[in-house]
Amino acid sequence: MTEIETVPPAERTRGEGLAAKVLRIGLTERIVLLAVLLVVVVVWFRVLGAGGYLVAPYDLRYLGNALESMVPFALLAVAELFVIVSGRGGIDLSVGAIVSLAGMVFGFMVGVWGWPLLPSILGCIVVGALLGAVNGALVAYVRFPALIATLATYYAYSSLALISNANAPISTPPVVALHSLTRNVNLPAPLPPVPLHVFTILLPCAVLAWVVLSRSTYGRSLYAVGTNDVAAAYATQSVARTRFTAFVLSGLLSGVVAVVTVGQFASARPDAGIVGNGMALPAITVAVLGGVAIQGGIGRVGGVLVAALLITWLNAGMLLAFPEGAEGSRYQLLALGLVLVLSALLNTLALRRYGRLA
Amino acid sequence: MTTVTKDVAAPVRRRPRVRAIEGQELALIAVVGLLWVVLSLVTDTFLTTGNLQNILFTVAPIALVGIGMTAVIVTAGIDVSVGSQAAVVMVIVALLVRDSGLPFLPAVAVAVVIGLVLGAVNGLLVAYGGIHPIIVTFGTLNIYRFVSLQIFGTEQVAGVPATLAPIGGGLEGRLLGVPTAWWLTLLLAAGMWCYMRYWATGRHLYAVGGDAFAARLAGVRVRRRQISAYVLTGACVGLAACVLIGSGGLVQQNVGTGLELRVIAAVVIGGTSIIGGRGTVLGTLLGALLVGTVSSAVTLLSWPSELTQLFIGLFILVAVGVDLLRERRRSAR
Repeated sequence: MTEIETVPPAERTRGEGLAAKVLRIGLTERIVLLAVLLVVVVVWFRVLGAGGYLVAPYDLRYLGNALESMVPFALLAVAELFVIVSGRGGIDLSVGAIVSLAGMVFGFMVGVWGWPLLPSILGCIVVGALLGAVNGALVAYVRFPALIATLATYYAYSSLALISNANAPISTPPVVALHSLTRNVNLPAPLPPVPLHVFTILLPCAVLAWVVLSRSTYGRSLYAVGTNDVAAAYATQSVARTRFTAFVLSGLLSGVVAVVTVGQFASARPDAGIVGNGMALPAITVAVLGGVAIQGGIGRVGGVLVAALLITWLNAGMLLAFPEGAEGSRYQLLALGLVLVLSALLNTLALRRYGRLA
Repeated sequence: MTTVTKDVAAPVRRRPRVRAIEGQELALIAVVGLLWVVLSLVTDTFLTTGNLQNILFTVAPIALVGIGMTAVIVTAGIDVSVGSQAAVVMVIVALLVRDSGLPFLPAVAVAVVIGLVLGAVNGLLVAYGGIHPIIVTFGTLNIYRFVSLQIFGTEQVAGVPATLAPIGGGLEGRLLGVPTAWWLTLLLAAGMWCYMRYWATGRHLYAVGGDAFAARLAGVRVRRRQISAYVLTGACVGLAACVLIGSGGLVQQNVGTGLELRVIAAVVIGGTSIIGGRGTVLGTLLGALLVGTVSSAVTLLSWPSELTQLFIGLFILVAVGVDLLRERRRSAR
């Protein structure tokens, strides 16, 4: 099936030509590849816009606005990053359901029980972390396969979210007022207005995630466990606790996304994260595109963020290119599917040829 | 279940006794039976012909797709694209039946062929692309949904004639009072059960799921077996799509969303191990029956219908938990 022959990189890179070098960097340095693709996408849509094929200008202002939809997917993709890196088939299908349920709890706190904002936000994030802890306990300690544990909790959490307010959204005045959390902020002249929560939520979370993954003992332990959990156990790493924490962090990030989505919709919707194909699927797609290997042990925050940006701007462009009703969102489905399969193929290729991926 | 795996994976001196029904299946029969007894005592509407026919009919598509999905999961794969596959088949067949007046048998044949093709795409990507099955099928889930929406155009397909009613719901779709779709399911399941138990290639499915590398060394054509499992699932989806079209004259754009989760739930509740190598079609049928019974019960007791999902989630956890426990005891011995 998927045996990966690890060839020492040194043997491959010695005496290679320019074309081979470009190929190697393109395959193994995921951020470089994504940055090139990002430029291609932006230039392509700019050209389409100049030729009059778009219904609205694909300019800086539009790209700035589009960042609003990037925030949830980028955060959930980072959540998947933690879980997938932890290895042994790690995956979290329940993130969308956690967004729904934690969002409903947030809605109750702010809109029904009249809690002040800050404790409510904290409460929402704690609820997310607790729901993630259930997943983590099942996977790490009871040793359920992650796919099944999170499938079961996906059902359970989304059911609770739907039942909690009899399938109705909560949009009392205090909840509606939360929309100001996601207002645009004006930046100095050449830069367009950018949604506030890019600065208040996305960037801090991304920096924290980066610090945890690349600069902390926990991060090292997580990569070790994901690469080879038997070896990690011999190296005195507590494998179960490391995996458990990965799921808790995933739930915690989903709780943060719950706050964001309640703000964006100006209402706590019970189906926020599960409507249609749900939020888990795009999150996993972005993570895989960002260079996270599904086998575990490989993946970086930077790659995931650039991948999220690429998908966001691609989606935004397609909405302008296909003016007719649902046609744009239909092509978004196609693009998401193709991108997922192709980037997974790319990951396999890179791992086979160079034995590494980053 | 284990007897089969052991038989394939390692030479056993004494041929183990062949048992038709294993532990998990017995437990499921007990649970379903208990539920039926309790429900017929608590409500006066459960044990009516109409309700039982209804349960069997609504469960039929899940069970049908589950037959293929059992094979896929036994090979340590997974197919989350079945809902979108069903959408593609349904829109094409419904349009052909409505606009070109396709008769019953050709319609079923077309549905199965489209299903086969869609399954083959998944199978080829899994076997030769070296991509994890969940990633492949997540991708094709989106792509197939795009294809179906593109064919739909902007609206639903309404006014589909009752060509497929013989395997749909209603009076015409029954034989001896049991929905024809369920007879079809039983027939197919029996065939699959024999295939996976007695035919060499069928037993190879278990070998692939148990340890693909060892299976290859033992001369199993691993890639072919993987492809065949996904193709089989596609064909089952084609049949299930016919059953779904047969039940009404309307095909909406969101058909099949969430089907994959219900099917996987039925398979897993039925005792098939998600890491591969273990499971039977009989278990899947019982799992699907349990899911159908629970959702019928929630409706009859006039609880909020969303509770069904909570119960399915809990059943998955219990079923897999019991399986893990047994596995641990077995390896400790």
